[in-house]
Amino acid sequence: MLDRILPINIGNGVTLHLINTKKFKTSLVSVYLQRPLTQEEVTKNALISMILPRGTKRLETSKDIAKYLENLYGTSIGSNVSKKGERNIINFRMQVINEIYIDEKHILEKGIRTLNEFINDPLIEQGHFKTEYLNQERANLTEKIEGRKNDKMKYAYERCIEEMCKNEAFSLYEYGNVKDLKEISDITLFMHYENLLKSSPVDICVVGDISNIDIQKMIDRNMKFKINKPIAVEREKLFNKSEKVKNVAEEMDISQGKLVIGYRTNIPFESELYEPLIVYSNILGGGPNSKLFKNLREKESLCYYIFSRIEKFKSLMLISSGIEFDNFDKTVDLVGMQIKDMNNGNISSEEIESAKNAIITAIRSMTDSPGMLADFYYTQIISNNQDNMEEIINKIRKVNKETIVEAGKNIKIDTIYFLRDKKEDN
Amino acid sequence: MSMTNEIYSQLLKEKMYFDQLDNGLKVYTMPMEGYTKQYAIFATNYGSIDSKFKIMGEEKIIEVPDGIAHFLEHKLFEERDGSIFDKFSELGSNVNAYTNFNSTCYLFTSTDRFLENLELLVKFVQSPYFTDENVEKEKGIITQEINMYKDNPQWKVFFNALRAMYHNHPVKIDIAGTVDSISRITKEDLYTCYDNFYSPHNMTLFIAGDIDHAEALKVIKMSMNERPSNAKIIQRVYPEETNSIVQDTIEEHLDVSIPLFNIAYKDILNNSTEDKLLNRDISTKILLDMLFGKSSELYSSLYEEGLINDTFEHEFTGELGYGYSMMGGESKDPLLIRDRIHKHIELLKKVGLSKEDFERIKRKQIGEHLGYYNSVEFIATTFIAYHFKGIQLFDYIKAIKKIQFSDIEKRFLEHFCNSQSILSIISPK
Repeated sequence: MLDRILPINIGNGVTLHLINTKKFKTSLVSVYLQRPLTQEEVTKNALISMILPRGTKRLETSKDIAKYLENLYGTSIGSNVSKKGERNIINFRMQVINEIYIDEKHILEKGIRTLNEFINDPLIEQGHFKTEYLNQERANLTEKIEGRKNDKMKYAYERCIEEMCKNEAFSLYEYGNVKDLKEISDITLFMHYENLLKSSPVDICVVGDISNIDIQKMIDRNMKFKINKPIAVEREKLFNKSEKVKNVAEEMDISQGKLVIGYRTNIPFESELYEPLIVYSNILGGGPNSKLFKNLREKESLCYYIFSRIEKFKSLMLISSGIEFDNFDKTVDLVGMQIKDMNNGNISSEEIESAKNAIITAIRSMTDSPGMLADFYYTQIISNNQDNMEEIINKIRKVNKETIVEAGKNIKIDTIYFLRDKKEDN
Repeated sequence: MSMTNEIYSQLLKEKMYFDQLDNGLKVYTMPMEGYTKQYAIFATNYGSIDSKFKIMGEEKIIEVPDGIAHFLEHKLFEERDGSIFDKFSELGSNVNAYTNFNSTCYLFTSTDRFLENLELLVKFVQSPYFTDENVEKEKGIITQEINMYKDNPQWKVFFNALRAMYHNHPVKIDIAGTVDSISRITKEDLYTCYDNFYSPHNMTLFIAGDIDHAEALKVIKMSMNERPSNAKIIQRVYPEETNSIVQDTIEEHLDVSIPLFNIAYKDILNNSTEDKLLNRDISTKILLDMLFGKSSELYSSLYEEGLINDTFEHEFTGELGYGYSMMGGESKDPLLIRDRIHKHIELLKKVGLSKEDFERIKRKQIGEHLGYYNSVEFIATTFIAYHFKGIQLFDYIKAIKKIQFSDIEKRFLEHFCNSQSILSIISPK
């Protein structure tokens, strides 16, 4: 088991987290910039994450970059934006093959140097990003935002959150919106970029076979951050406002209905009931032996997929399934019955054991993927949680039926969202 | 008696162990030091394209409804005394399965009590329990699965591309079949397929994780059925398929924001031996990266003109009976992209490919391939896919290193004929 690594302050508001392991064939360097999730920033942050990989001072075009990285044995550098609760995270990651497998010296250092250029040394013309690149990426981002509806399952899930959390920052789509995108100019985008570099708390997670001292030296030599006033990103606020269930139906030309039911769990992730809540959700809809799967799929043949998921930072629980349009009422009723049943204490010790074991397996499995390891530690960092993996696992182990039922009693239904076919006009 | 073989790869610095049991089952383990997860996959060389077959020496061709391999995969999870999911769940492991064109695979991942999990896996795959009632019940679930795919534009654009390429080959049929074809499946059909394709000599078990081969082997042997191995040899019957395509353009409308497209080149089949198959696989993958990858002339010009975005991808599929290169993504103007690709290919046929590009892409693919070995899932699923076409996964890296520019040039002329290409489009309604 890999232990939590002590964070190292490497100056300029940058914190380094090293996970030293020999088991992978690659080294991963993942850089996270933390921002508040706001309407004002979210679209710009998405655009920044797309424009930076287009060209650097040294490698001016995407083609130059691709050629350079291909020569470095397919070193990959990618960027993306995401929302973790009401934080907007801009992530850059670089993965490179370990030298012992190839005949290329200093490949990690070359990778880190290039990664730094992506973040801190982009191609600048006339005081801003190259206009051509901005226009192309604006068009790409527009397509991405509009293309959200192409994946119906994901679309329905996100739309439910949007409806449920209207007027809360969490309702913002991580890629922003087309209206704001149109209004971004060369200058405003570049000013925003400069502000990001000055004010974002930066964490770097490294996963690989490298010593603490060596990686610090390498980062020190190659990565130039200019943070002078790191902002403090606030913890998200929780709302308890489900007095009346909100029903939302949206029509699209589709073959299968997508049902998503949103709940307020009213349990913050800092609470002692958080682990029981995780177990609760797993028993309800965590996998093929969950109550929802067994009763709605195996017994009633209502669906192919049905699952329940916790949104940690916002204290939400969402249940998602694909069903026949006409089975809407029946499915909603059956889901409600399963929840009621659980809250009445109808949970077997086998179900509890299975759920705990499944969660522990999932946590342990993260240690086998460099990307998941880095993200796991980063999530711990922004949750301000000092627990290492074994401590988290111990908390899961301690969950019992009483605490699960207690957690369940806090869960309140908020929104029922249904993506359905177009009704015939007659 | 079997003797354990050790296979070592100097390039990967990895090894695996191999045994064949007396009943014909092949068992491989790859010890992954330091890994928390264990992954075992029990696979049969039987997929969605195998719905017509005959028993060697018999005249009668047996034909079963489309989608039956996938249906069988679903049903194998049902046991006389309930569902196998519960038993794996008690151990905290995840059990799953998938069916593709050529194989059906049952697998689990665990982080604890590996041998108990392994025993469960081996036993449940050998214990079919089909009743009229449980077969009927599954039809509702699979109908929902089929309906889910109907709304999935990526899936649709891909299968439409196959339908535009293949006249008769069953690769053009959806893996899950259709609502109509699965409605005709009976428990007798399921037993027929099970008996013929789930015999140990048609199956392979692959394990990756920090585990001991000898211990795993012992558990597998103990968990094997006593039933005599079905020594009958199954002959799969595939219809005649010519090299020509069915139609050069296929279009369908769905509720999407922007057109999705796939452009595919149907491969010319020339009874490839297994050795040639690996060379064909690698040379085509290098070629695709040279022609359509991020560093290529074509990619950057199409990207800069706003005709493609970062969803643009390419892949090669090369099996014994069929093969194709496919590239696609989202675009405002798929027809124009096809036109540009065709012209580019014609141009390259005149001016030739670049050796420098080749050397660079070769390095890239060596690195990428090495990186895949970080993933237990990748190793296991890729091992099985190559294994069933007679390729040992460890040979892949050796073969990339050996590939020559001349292989690529030859392959380019053979594979990229514009008259063999099709365009599949999913347009907004």
